[in-house]
Amino acid sequence: MLELDVNGKKVNVDASPLARLLDVLRGPLGLTGTKEGCGEGECGSCTVLVDGVPMNACLVLVGQVEGKSVLTVEGLAVDGALPEHLNHLQRTFIDHGGAQCGICTPGMLVSAEALLRNVPKPSDDQIREAIAGNICRCTGYQRIVDAIRHAAELRGRDQ
Amino acid sequence: MTADSRVDVFERMRSLDETVARLAACAAGETPFQLLSGGTDLVVESHLAPPSSTVRPKRVLLDISSVPELSQIEDRGDMLRLGGGVTYLALRRDPVASRVPLLAAMAKDVGAIQIQARGTLAGNIATASPAADGVCGLFALDAVIGLRSAKGERTIPLVDLYEGYKKSKRRPDELIAWVDVRVPSPTAKWVWRKVGTRLAQAISKVALSAVVEIDDGKISRARFGMASVAPTTSALPSVRALLEGNAPGWIDLAAVERAVDADISPIDDVRSTSAYRRHVAKAITREFVRALSG
Repeated sequence: MLELDVNGKKVNVDASPLARLLDVLRGPLGLTGTKEGCGEGECGSCTVLVDGVPMNACLVLVGQVEGKSVLTVEGLAVDGALPEHLNHLQRTFIDHGGAQCGICTPGMLVSAEALLRNVPKPSDDQIREAIAGNICRCTGYQRIVDAIRHAAELRGRDQ
Repeated sequence: MTADSRVDVFERMRSLDETVARLAACAAGETPFQLLSGGTDLVVESHLAPPSSTVRPKRVLLDISSVPELSQIEDRGDMLRLGGGVTYLALRRDPVASRVPLLAAMAKDVGAIQIQARGTLAGNIATASPAADGVCGLFALDAVIGLRSAKGERTIPLVDLYEGYKKSKRRPDELIAWVDVRVPSPTAKWVWRKVGTRLAQAISKVALSAVVEIDDGKISRARFGMASVAPTTSALPSVRALLEGNAPGWIDLAAVERAVDADISPIDDVRSTSAYRRHVAKAITREFVRALSG
């Protein structure tokens, strides 16, 4: 039995420590928001934060994150935020058309979250670099960059 | 999750001493074993070829990603000691590492942030790929690696570590505990130049690192690393010999190109061609040498 800290909650999971974090999240933990794209650390669809740092969950063995905190896209939601508990990033991705097929979106959101935690007012270059490890084949990146920039503004107003 | 993965054994190491003791025990036994840190190679290979589809026997994976000694960065005056587990992200963000700006420049070009957060210097060194950006950068910094085993510690200059394509002098019971790099003088000229298919997330077609120090109008020290142009990272010894002792403005640039030609032996592969690599290798080296007199 492994004890993990996922989205702020302690969970016990019956898994081999050699299983990929990605498979444990999507399987026994039922957190299917994290997507598998390439499975080799290239596309960023499976990006999660481990102790606040973006990582590809397909490259991390679950035994390596015992004692560390994992944040997935499901952990971005804000209790009570309207509508539908979405945080600013999730809302602006919808408003700007930053999501199309949706496979890259959870990873994009998580990478963007890491950026805004460290850099509250990012430049467009900083935004583009923060999502350089997240590949999108639908929308083009401009709408995603627009969404992240707008979310940064909304977060700034909240504080 | 593949049930097959249970045939392997996962052991999480908590200290350097524990790791070298387990390495010694594993090396003396018959069960295959491997060190694991960022998993950027090992986890991909294991997943793409899971145990059930191969005859690979059970193995022990020693996870060193949480060994505290391995992630330290120490300022030692004219040198920095980088723990083997130092990640590219740490090289970009650590204030001590910023004394050698080439390190952060190189680290920025390794994958994107998700890979930079996982990949380690020792992993890059141990994998021994000629395309390794980390190794290429370290070549220009007179890197010396510290190999720890239960028998003690020995050091090897990084330029002497490799014996051929993906072959190194590191013994299986040895851990790359640290890498010492020389801090170039504040006036040193340096470059990190990576040529890939894209700006991010690309493996190098060619990469160049260089550090040149000039005293009294003459080049007193020139160090190079070049990736993806030979079976192992090249230190461009002929280029170095051409530069040292000479005044930067008086170096024959055609001779620089001939020296690069002599030092490299690139091949055609999935990422590029031999001809293109030769062309780029000569051009970026020539450009760096030309700029020395500016």
